Amino acid sequence: MTSTIPRRARRAVALALGTALLAGTAACSGGDAGDGDGTAGGDAELTIWTWDQPGEGLEAAVPGFEAAHPGVTVTVENVGNPAIWDKITTGMAAGGQGLADIMNIGVDYMGNYIETFPDGFANLSEMGADDLEQDFPATLWGSAQDADGNVYGIPMEVNTNVVFYRDDLFDQAGLDMDAIETWDQLLEAGITLKEKTGTDLFAMDKAASQADSANMWQLLARLEGTFFFDADGDIALSGEGAVRALDFLKRANDAGIVADVPGGWDNLMRQVSGDGNVAILPGASWMAGVFPDNAPDLAGKWAVRRPPAMEEGGYTAASAGGTFLAVASSSPHKDAAWEFVQYALASMEGQEAVYEASGLFPSYAPMWETEDFSAPNEYFDGMKVNQLFIEALSQDTPPDYYTADYARALRAYTDAQTRVLVSGADPQEALDEAAELLAGQTGRDIADS
Amino acid sequence: MSVTAADAPARARRTRSRRRLRAQATPYLFLAPVVLLFLTFKAYPTLYALYLSLTTRSGGQDVFVGADNFTRLLGDPLFWQALRNTVLILVTQVPVMLVIAVLLAVAFNSALLKGRAVLRVSYFLPIVMGLVAYGILFSALMNYQDGLINFVLDAVGLPKVPWLADPFWAKMAIVVAMTWHYTGNNAVIYLAQLQSIPTELYEAASVDGATARQRLWHITLPGLRPALFLTVVLSTIGTLQLFDEPYVLTNGGPDNATLTIGMYLYQNAFQFFDFGYASAIGYVLTAIVGVVALAQMLILRRRSR
Repeated sequence: MTSTIPRRARRAVALALGTALLAGTAACSGGDAGDGDGTAGGDAELTIWTWDQPGEGLEAAVPGFEAAHPGVTVTVENVGNPAIWDKITTGMAAGGQGLADIMNIGVDYMGNYIETFPDGFANLSEMGADDLEQDFPATLWGSAQDADGNVYGIPMEVNTNVVFYRDDLFDQAGLDMDAIETWDQLLEAGITLKEKTGTDLFAMDKAASQADSANMWQLLARLEGTFFFDADGDIALSGEGAVRALDFLKRANDAGIVADVPGGWDNLMRQVSGDGNVAILPGASWMAGVFPDNAPDLAGKWAVRRPPAMEEGGYTAASAGGTFLAVASSSPHKDAAWEFVQYALASMEGQEAVYEASGLFPSYAPMWETEDFSAPNEYFDGMKVNQLFIEALSQDTPPDYYTADYARALRAYTDAQTRVLVSGADPQEALDEAAELLAGQTGRDIADS
Repeated sequence: MSVTAADAPARARRTRSRRRLRAQATPYLFLAPVVLLFLTFKAYPTLYALYLSLTTRSGGQDVFVGADNFTRLLGDPLFWQALRNTVLILVTQVPVMLVIAVLLAVAFNSALLKGRAVLRVSYFLPIVMGLVAYGILFSALMNYQDGLINFVLDAVGLPKVPWLADPFWAKMAIVVAMTWHYTGNNAVIYLAQLQSIPTELYEAASVDGATARQRLWHITLPGLRPALFLTVVLSTIGTLQLFDEPYVLTNGGPDNATLTIGMYLYQNAFQFFDFGYASAIGYVLTAIVGVVALAQMLILRRRSR
């Protein structure tokens, strides 16, 4: 070959082309090396995005699933919470590029994803999900549907609000937790407890360094029968019940019985393990599963009960949301992914593995009736903890209205809470400001209270 | 096939023109990877963001809304707060950092200092530190209950400082963290400039009996002027785009005290899924950066004449 281009120039061209190609592939590497819409029997590598506790459960379901589905391998990735929301949002905004096949999604995000990215998730109704409806709690099931009733996620865990408390400390202070019926009585008890044991009643992330700093208020607001939005989608943030809930936090804070602990998983675990020095942990049913691992020394000292009412005779149970598994519509292995979701969430075998490893409260109702499930919980002094949760779940609870603007509402609320807890602002004024800001941002009306 | 004499001039011409073409094409070939990368990762996203800034997402579709996002921005109290916060951090942090950087550079340049290389590296190191490690480090230092800084304050009998929980101190925490992060970078730029100041000037000044302070004021600082000019503009641009520190340390809180424009853009895009609005914020930020940088260049250039 007598090419006129000298070898050196040729090499330069090759180099330039190679780099350009490399740049090109980097630009569109969505990991879609799949085989079209692979069937459940064929070779498929599934990836699941989840976080700590549910991840351990899903991991445990993998061996059973892989044994029954030769050729399919499942990788569980602990992306971390809240990092997972950024990752999913970015993938969705990129038209599904780079998303995992299966995603673990909180009920508070589900509505927003379905509304903002209607084509992001696989329509599970078309794959037969509707047949599973009677096995799952109705409120959660409905939260993963679009306006036409198509299902985009299967409930993984269902949560109810409960209060964990240090039985030993209450005993030491001569207080009877069973006799406490309202939060105001608990506040009084907290003052006595602080005097006698030096322990704070509960902790708050006063500077709201994380979104979970609003958890306590969300519980109290639900017990008041209200939430960020009402049934019409109007802003209920500055209504009477919402203000009473924040006022309670202010009174407890002013009484000096609220520890200031930043948010996040590690700080929550500090409280669980006793390092946070708090007497109660208002939380949700899923937390029962984290105590044995994170506070083995405190076995028998932690106890759990339903939340007191805000007023005598008021609600003593509140929904604490839940999570779903959803399948990405961009997944090349949608059928295999759907098989896994069904195995992990809607079969006894898969559910037992998930529950055993994660301790999360299952959404799959047939699980609730098994013998193992109703067995006494050794960690909580032989109490039938799961029975307590089932009872709480069957209580009358106000519905939650998350809407697509939940994230904005949460942010507006936490800022108001910070003004109240850190700078001593008036709860009504702070929430009025938050409601107005939110109205300006979203174009929603403020509900009459 | 035999080569005839008549072919020779034509062939020579062809070869020459081909050679010229090759000579002209070679630079473009070498530039191709960069140009491609630029088009893919800079030009395309920039133009797409411009398109997004004119839309809002509704029912899974991008709907064209014209300048709505921009007019909404004007009436958004959080945007103005973010702008105020950013400017406040800018006017406190940049001067402090640059003064420290000058002093460090002068010290590093001094022959009296032992182990200069090690010190230079140690001050430059923070600039390459990963965001997550940085966040963990400062969160640990500034924790109210058991952070190292409060431990030291407590040990010497001073009151503990709520670094991340108080609106005022949270801003200060951001300033401290940024200063730690970027001072070394500026010091290195000054150091490079210092090497270009002729030593004869110092010698002559010493002979004339100038004190160390006079030498700093009349020789070092005027000599540093081009580098000062560069770092003021670069630091201003960087601070206006501030995101890392509030993201890892305070999440923009407490009560939006450390909300910066970059942070507000991020919140709108990735927490509120309002990509159109976030893109509009991005374009307004770009305009602000452009205007401020231009103004600084005009003012500083006039001064240096």
